[in-house]
Amino acid sequence: MLLAVLITNSEGNILVERFNGVPGEERLHWRSFLVKLGADNLKGVKNEELCVASHKSVYIVYTVLGHVSIYLVGKDEYDELALSEAIFVVTSAIKDVCGKPPTERLFLDKYGRICLCLDEIVWKGLLENTDKDRIKRLVRLKPPTEF
Amino acid sequence: MAQYVKKDDDRDEEAEYSPFSGIEKGAVLQEARVFNDPQLDSRRCSQVITKLLYLLNQGDTFTKTEATEVFFSVTKLFQARDVGLRRMVYLIIKELSPSADEVIIVTSSLMKDMNSKTDVYRANAIRVLCRITDGTLLTQIERYLKQAIVDKNPVVASAALVSGIHLLQTNPEIVKRWSNEVQEAVQSRAALVQFHALALLQQIRQNDRLAVSKLVTSLTKGTVRSPLAQCLLIRYTSQVIRESSMNSQTGDRPFYDYLESCLRHKSEMVIFEAARAITELSDVTSRELTPAITVLQLFLSSSKPVLRFAAVRTLNKVAMTHPMAVTTCNIDMESLISDQNRSIATLAITTLLKTGNESGVDRLMKQITNFMSDIADEFKIVVVDAIRSLCLKFPLKFRTLMGFLSNILREEGGFEYKKAIVDSIVTIIREIPDAKESGLLHLCEFIEDCEFTYLSTQILHFLGIEGPKTSDPSKYIRYIYNRVILENATVRASAVSTLAKFGAMVDSLKPRIFVLLRRCLYDNDDEVRDRATLYLNTIGGDGSVVETDKDVKEFLFGSLDLPLANLETSLKNYEPSEEPFDISSVPREVKSQPFAEKKAAAKKPTGLGAPPAGPTSAVDTYDKLLSSIPEFSTFGLLFKSSAPVELTEAETEYAVNVVKHIFDKHVVFQYNCTNTIPEQLLEDVTIVVDASEAEEFEEIATKPLKSLPYDTPGQTFVAFEKPEGVPAVGKFTNVLRFIVKEVDPSTGEAEEDGVEDEYQLEEFEVVAADYMLKVGVSNFRNAWESLGPDFERVDEYGLGPRESLKEAVSTVINLLGMQPCEGTEVVAANSRSHTCLLSGVYIGNVKVLVRLSFGVDSAKEVAMKLAVRSEDEAVSDAIHELVAN
Repeated sequence: MLLAVLITNSEGNILVERFNGVPGEERLHWRSFLVKLGADNLKGVKNEELCVASHKSVYIVYTVLGHVSIYLVGKDEYDELALSEAIFVVTSAIKDVCGKPPTERLFLDKYGRICLCLDEIVWKGLLENTDKDRIKRLVRLKPPTEF
Repeated sequence: MAQYVKKDDDRDEEAEYSPFSGIEKGAVLQEARVFNDPQLDSRRCSQVITKLLYLLNQGDTFTKTEATEVFFSVTKLFQARDVGLRRMVYLIIKELSPSADEVIIVTSSLMKDMNSKTDVYRANAIRVLCRITDGTLLTQIERYLKQAIVDKNPVVASAALVSGIHLLQTNPEIVKRWSNEVQEAVQSRAALVQFHALALLQQIRQNDRLAVSKLVTSLTKGTVRSPLAQCLLIRYTSQVIRESSMNSQTGDRPFYDYLESCLRHKSEMVIFEAARAITELSDVTSRELTPAITVLQLFLSSSKPVLRFAAVRTLNKVAMTHPMAVTTCNIDMESLISDQNRSIATLAITTLLKTGNESGVDRLMKQITNFMSDIADEFKIVVVDAIRSLCLKFPLKFRTLMGFLSNILREEGGFEYKKAIVDSIVTIIREIPDAKESGLLHLCEFIEDCEFTYLSTQILHFLGIEGPKTSDPSKYIRYIYNRVILENATVRASAVSTLAKFGAMVDSLKPRIFVLLRRCLYDNDDEVRDRATLYLNTIGGDGSVVETDKDVKEFLFGSLDLPLANLETSLKNYEPSEEPFDISSVPREVKSQPFAEKKAAAKKPTGLGAPPAGPTSAVDTYDKLLSSIPEFSTFGLLFKSSAPVELTEAETEYAVNVVKHIFDKHVVFQYNCTNTIPEQLLEDVTIVVDASEAEEFEEIATKPLKSLPYDTPGQTFVAFEKPEGVPAVGKFTNVLRFIVKEVDPSTGEAEEDGVEDEYQLEEFEVVAADYMLKVGVSNFRNAWESLGPDFERVDEYGLGPRESLKEAVSTVINLLGMQPCEGTEVVAANSRSHTCLLSGVYIGNVKVLVRLSFGVDSAKEVAMKLAVRSEDEAVSDAIHELVAN
């Protein structure tokens, strides 16, 4: 299960937070844990360079893209390698929507479209689409090209 | 979105301005009224939906009324033709997750979309419907979903399959009917469809071993189109391997070749998954392990942190069971100590600590010293735990390792970290006698500057136990008395108790301790003064050099001799009155907690938190319990109490386990009984024991249990006489006999009349191992030499064909019931020979050491050479007899 997708600005303020199968009372804990993890480790990290950690039985893969930080949390079959596959899809979709690694402003300007992309990529904790061109078409309700 | 773009991107100071700044839920909900406009402005509507999404993604929630209102307005948007808006509508409906009675309003629109000619409408409608649907609606749309699974458009098929995975949790019986369609989708040419279909099919069939096995067999031979699906297949394959290896113990391992071939796949994810699957195979041989270790070793030097992390994490796990297999990676592992990612570095260090040999310890510790200063406490704790294990593995290296621990103890760190270090030092002191004096001094220095009251008091308590037994107890007094001068009241009170212990145990120190204790009479804290007064008045009159009375010592420092839980309950029930609390009224019966005991046994007894030397303290409790029963009080010293043996299956009406207490001339069986039926009260509970298969035992006494209410464990005992000093063995059959009375659940009162009833229990045996105490030695060679060859007995035995060398070794260890030393109970995979060192104390308090040398030939015939040294010739012979029989 892909437990969480969290996107923050560089100060650690939440931009997007989507949890799957995480009880309400644990979400705050996860949010602060991830933000602290980023604050400790993401300084000086290059765009899309992946950081990795594990906490209890869950894995966390996170990275920086422009001025936003992206965190993916998974467990069981979504281990560090599956998560790095998923985060690659997320970052390419965001870059695609924004045209470049986004500033916070650009990210928020494209907020609606980014939400649609995330909806295509992760559905209730399962990875659904992985190809950025297909995602790009799907959020516009266009059929995939390869089909 | 244009409305938000008020600013030029080039103007830096405004670039970070949020288009959502000042956003307020109330205002957005007001704005949502545009959804009701007769002339829909699609762009405006999309913007409002974006704002709603932003609020929800920030963790904001809508009340039931708010959500309902928005939901109903949103449904109006199905009239709009704008494609972008329709996509947003699908998303927001999912996010709002309307309740069952509201769903009806959109179902017809969604059903229409689900049959639309436009494929992507269909895909989205399926996802939304499945998200908001309940069982009844699902049966209506099932036909469409089954079609969608085999749709030629991969987006539609994937949408239906992923929906199926989610729906399987809530409506399994419906989804299971789709298995033919899903089976077809597994053969799809679209990579993701195959991936999703495989996941769903496995979940549908997970309880049907044969079906999963068939699925794996066909796919491992066929084409798998995406790395993701390949990874799933590897997981399912290892599941099949696990289950099949349980059935057939011999022969080649099925599917190993497939796993091995995946190690050469072009995707790193697949390679890693296969490598990990191989390392996790049960009883994996080193031949099987080698190729997996090789690819993991390559990953260790990858430029991608995720790969390094995955590899080192897996190798760390392998090192627990097959340390030798991982040693080839040690050089790569050492370079990871300086890895930027601290998780990777910590895993590398702890792996090295597990795989290193004795000679490399010093070099490794040097590297770790540099590393410790720049990692967080949580990682440091892991390292400290690994160092403790290393020290117990190589006791001769305790100086280096203890030195390291004392150094890091002086550095900055939080409570958990410091506690981990202190616990480790305490464990080392307990396990390695030579380390005691230096360890105690390190702890003394630590409390000189310790900010944690809990740790200070624990250390002071420990000093009180161990300090007086050292060669020069006086050197600790200064450290302890400093606490009385410098610390808070809690620590001062502890220090006073510790001083008193030294006074009571070391007669020569008594006069000086008395001077110090008298000073504490003027302390400004009540507890400190009270303790000082108590000790001064009880330990020994005027403080002259006389021996403190044994009874006084027992009164002051002896264990409370009562289960603390019972004392706590009694104190809570005590109502203040003229009559003082009577401690003798506290029940002494130990509540048996088989689950908790099992858990505790799995953990190594470590540190201050655990009672000193776990097993002995259990024996102490049993000893006191048994000697408080008049029938057994004449049996003398309790030699050994076994771990509880379950006599009932889990979750039966009555749970019973037995503890075997061994005395020189007697054995006592303590039956711990629990009644798990709330509507029953059991009375006059006894165990009827049939000892016809235990000829040397003669039943002499039983102690029935008067009453056994629901969920309150109680004990009944049966005692047998046996020949003195002889390790008699035999089998005992047991029946639980009792009078059962119905209990009215509303009042909790039992009926007057009961019915006699019986309950058959499992049988158990008294075996030779019950006469052997597991007592380890820190240095086997020294112990072996010091026992000398006088009563050494050596002989060779053929053990016949065995399943594996490992199995043979553990059988002999269990037969003898002795403590394996220096980690020799672990048999390296695939080795043809093994030496195992055991130590113990035999009934009659005779020290025994055993050296077992095993060899196995190609036909799995195991031969064993058994060398026994003990303090008594007869005992050495008895051990051989045990094995010979």
